[in-house]
Amino acid sequence: MASNAPAINDGPLLTADGIPLKVSLEKSLRQSRRRAFFLVAPPLAFLVFVFVIPIGNMLTRSIDDNLVNEVMPRTFEAFEAWDKSSEPDESMYAAIYQDLKDAEKVEIGKVSVRMNYAKPGWRSLIKRTARKIKRMEPPYKEAFLEADDRWADREFWLSLGVMKDRYTMGYYLNAVDRTYDFDKNVIHVDEKRKVYNLLWWRTILVSFIVTIACLILAYPVSYLLATLPMRISNLLMICVLMPFWTSLLVRIVAWMIMLQQNGVVNDTLVASGILDDENRLAMMYNFNGTIIVMTQILLPFMILPIYSVMKTIPPSYMKAAQNLGATPTLAFIRVYMPQTIPGVGAGCILVFIVAIGYYITPELVGGKDGRLIGNMVAYHMQRSLNWGLAAAMGTILLVLILILYWVYDKIVGIDNMKMG
Amino acid sequence: MKSKLKLTLLASVVAVTTAAQAEVNIVSWGGAYTASQQKAYQDTYKDPGSINFINYNGGLGEVRTQVESGNVTWDIVDVLPHEARVGCDEGLFEELDRSAFKPAPDGTSMDDDIMVEVPNDCVVPQIFWSYVPFYEEGTFKGEQPTTIADFFNVKKFPGKRGIHTWPNALIEMALAADGVAIKDIYKVMSTEEGIDRAFKMLDKIKDHAVFWSSGAKPLELVKSGEVAMSIAYNGRIGAAVLSEGEKFVTVWDGQVLEEEWLVLMKGAPNREAAMDFLIHASTPESQAEQAKYINYGPMRSSAFEIMQQGEPWFHNGKTIMEHMPNRPEVMKRSIVANPEWWADYGDSIGERYTAWMGQ
Repeated sequence: MASNAPAINDGPLLTADGIPLKVSLEKSLRQSRRRAFFLVAPPLAFLVFVFVIPIGNMLTRSIDDNLVNEVMPRTFEAFEAWDKSSEPDESMYAAIYQDLKDAEKVEIGKVSVRMNYAKPGWRSLIKRTARKIKRMEPPYKEAFLEADDRWADREFWLSLGVMKDRYTMGYYLNAVDRTYDFDKNVIHVDEKRKVYNLLWWRTILVSFIVTIACLILAYPVSYLLATLPMRISNLLMICVLMPFWTSLLVRIVAWMIMLQQNGVVNDTLVASGILDDENRLAMMYNFNGTIIVMTQILLPFMILPIYSVMKTIPPSYMKAAQNLGATPTLAFIRVYMPQTIPGVGAGCILVFIVAIGYYITPELVGGKDGRLIGNMVAYHMQRSLNWGLAAAMGTILLVLILILYWVYDKIVGIDNMKMG
Repeated sequence: MKSKLKLTLLASVVAVTTAAQAEVNIVSWGGAYTASQQKAYQDTYKDPGSINFINYNGGLGEVRTQVESGNVTWDIVDVLPHEARVGCDEGLFEELDRSAFKPAPDGTSMDDDIMVEVPNDCVVPQIFWSYVPFYEEGTFKGEQPTTIADFFNVKKFPGKRGIHTWPNALIEMALAADGVAIKDIYKVMSTEEGIDRAFKMLDKIKDHAVFWSSGAKPLELVKSGEVAMSIAYNGRIGAAVLSEGEKFVTVWDGQVLEEEWLVLMKGAPNREAAMDFLIHASTPESQAEQAKYINYGPMRSSAFEIMQQGEPWFHNGKTIMEHMPNRPEVMKRSIVANPEWWADYGDSIGERYTAWMGQ
């Protein structure tokens, strides 16, 4: 700047009111920056409130084990001093007595629920003992055993080892069918109780199948939408959008009527003699039902991005390719399809991400083998109230999606994605 | 963390809540059940306009969210036995002054008038309901199913079976079907072998099972012929038979009886009015009145007596007693659910059941 402007004096450049230009510039920059910040403040606050804080809260809940340590500090101290092989002695009973006596009733309730995750039975054991705590007198060991003879079961005492740290990976382990043994070694859960790994694989499999099915169905439809004359394609577009606007539940129930054992499809097949009455197809309340209904519901999420990309591809490219000697098929594969990749990528990632967290459709049509991990998250949020486990599963889902996003970015490049 | 959550939720629901809310919000299960509560409690209340019913799908998830965020909009909730206990333990519900409730005509206090042991001071009696098997008349030729063992016997009574997606009641029923005496069921269930035994019984119907998760579903399944027999809530079957003339047959054997309680939310916005309504809803007269509209059994013995003397009690002139889940004749072959057991072992059995379903 200095080289262009003739120097009037040796001092710094001044503005009309005598303030150095640099300062004045900075001031106006700061002002516009502040103005910009105020402009984005509402959406920013919105993001923080509905996105950052809840997700932070979820992450914290999935590892938090503070409560039990805060309410029962003496118990855990006594546990640390114990050699784990002898019978629990009077000092341990005295410690748990003190903790229960000082704790508020509500805290005891919450703690007993938490402890029940470590070993079933803790809840009623703590509750029953806490009810009698006021009347107890030393020696506490005898008083406790009298209150509930399960105190003699060393497994309860040993299970304290799982809860003694303020942060736990226990919920994450549970979410992948593993758990801590009493020495805090990671072990597999009993074969009969393995639920989650199967569900994780099934969720990924279902999302994958649904994505592929959507792609296969959506590609030709989008091509038609993009290439047909406006009059017909508008009509077609309405056919795509109508179900999209229809209530989710209505669509699910419609599928139930179509596909159940005595539904429209089976009845037609039997009436036309293709099927015996005995061999009606099981298309509902199982894995198939989940796939069919989810594919139909998520189809627009695939059609719309692909369509919007196809719409921008000039037809002249195909003509040019054919002019240069390509067969129509070759021109389509070599010239047209590569140009639709951004739309296909966007559609696939959109469908996959929505599918992986799906829960209402599998709940209604999934039956015994069509339920997904989202159903377990809902179950633990609403029914079992094991929010720690629900949070851990939610976090794993989030990480899965982030990994997917990263992989997509590496392979296709996120800049290539076009939503419309 | 709690205060952060509070802020979040406050911000997101600020539009919904208004400071001056005169109505008492009661949260219940909807359908014929809520309708019976409205007719029996709301319409007979001194100020029906002040009562507002809301539907929910069970579970304490929403209750806990409201209490933890300090933004309570519900006043009274209709809860299952397990939730009544856990919620009171966790301090989600208010403990109530038991002397405020109306005693039976003979002077027995409300708590002593209730047919089961009252688990805590949070609960106000509502009804007994049950999980029970049923089928449609004409499904089976010749011999008809009469026992819980018949439900698990697909050779003798062919066809699919409708069962729910959680293990409560099914474990008990499976053991009863396997010949365990009713009084020993929870003793057997407390051992690993007992649970194995129940699952072995469930295995027999697994390949024929259709799973349901909402109360209206089993009736649709049986009606449409999708299944031959199903477990359902007894009130749903009764409502279809009594009000809609359906030809459903209930198998009154090995049913699992469950409690249903009303509770007052901790920090309820209209505490006084809600308490007044709870007192009204729990009188023997109100309890008996509810059975005019649905065949769930009142919890108070004195209400039961009012009904017996008033037969035919159902609002359309039909008799109700043979549809009551807790009438003396069927009680001998009924399993009274043990919510304490389920509170301890429910999670681990639930996991095993889910694993079993998916295998």
